Amino acid sequence: MAKESTTIDVGEPSTVTKSSSHVVKKKGFVAAAAGGGAKRGLAIFDFLLRLAAIGVTIGAASVMYTAQETLPFFTQFLQFQAGYDDLPAFQYFVIAVAIVASYLVLSLPFSIVTIVRPLAVAPRLILLIFDTLVVTLNTSAAAAAASIVYLAHNGNQSTNWLPICQQFGDFCQNVSTAVVAASIAILFFIVLIIISAIALKRH
Amino acid sequence: MKSGQAEIVETSKGIQKSGLMSRRIAILEFILRIVAFFNTIGSAILMGTTHETLPFFTQFIRFQAEYNDLPALTFFVVANAVVSGYLIMSLTLAFVHIVKRKTQNTRILLIVLDVAMLGLLSAGASSAAAIVYLAHNGNNKTNWFAICQQFNSFCERISGSLIGSFIAVVLLILLILLSAIALSRRH
Repeated sequence: MAKESTTIDVGEPSTVTKSSSHVVKKKGFVAAAAGGGAKRGLAIFDFLLRLAAIGVTIGAASVMYTAQETLPFFTQFLQFQAGYDDLPAFQYFVIAVAIVASYLVLSLPFSIVTIVRPLAVAPRLILLIFDTLVVTLNTSAAAAAASIVYLAHNGNQSTNWLPICQQFGDFCQNVSTAVVAASIAILFFIVLIIISAIALKRH
Repeated sequence: MKSGQAEIVETSKGIQKSGLMSRRIAILEFILRIVAFFNTIGSAILMGTTHETLPFFTQFIRFQAEYNDLPALTFFVVANAVVSGYLIMSLTLAFVHIVKRKTQNTRILLIVLDVAMLGLLSAGASSAAAIVYLAHNGNNKTNWFAICQQFNSFCERISGSLIGSFIAVVLLILLILLSAIALSRRH
């Protein structure tokens, strides 16, 4: 306390320095509380978004995993069974989205720490760094699966790739739903990163 | 009094030192942006100039291959072009960060835009990667034929252009991390 009064008010009588340093300290506390209140609100919103994103990613992974269809009739050229493991892009999707969901569960304690201590920088920085890595993983899985789904719906004239959705309607619908769910999770992640960036700002 | 003056000098030296660190981070960001720009524009050009015509005539398969024929590759070229344009325009903002002291709000804006561009670029790169994998290996269950067996140089080019794009994704991640670290520092 004596150090603070020396650096702020050099050469004034001691009573004045004591009261002014007291006022400065009080202002500092109020400012910290105001910044901490807004950051705590952001941290609570971050926690709720994480819970929602966990639900969405687990849903996406499970829908893709259980997408299966067996055709009742016999066709000459196409196989009459379709599952997620027939296409490597879908296998990658299931594994990547499962990793994303488990990361979200593991990041919940860090989010709670930012609620309890809103002015701490280290947990927010860790969350932002790992959120960025995981959003890249999520986007790549969703985009790869989306390109295969687009191909399955439309086929391709130049390469003679036939649209398989015309035979496997249910499978196609399940797989498309999983891709849409993963894309919603990407939006959640972008909002989470923006929240972390705003909350990192030092006033 | 003398100790007080010494403390003032010490704290101002501390501010100077961390100001130097922030400046170094800003310079590194500027350099990384330039490298990422060259990577994305190179990938876009390499993919966009693919064109192969087979010399022989086959009954079922078309004998011309271009990036236009596959929509995922078109999306890849567009995404890379957009991200390279963004990187060039963000160079001015990165330069402002080198010279200016109070850069917090502009850094937040840069992080938000960088994250959006990262999403776009990684989406383009991985959808093109899925199609390139399919072109190399085909798929038995869906009767999708591996076109790389006919179109060799086309396949090589589209596979090579993916590399630059993925390097640019890693650089964008590094840029976001550097911005976050610079944002969270005291000065």
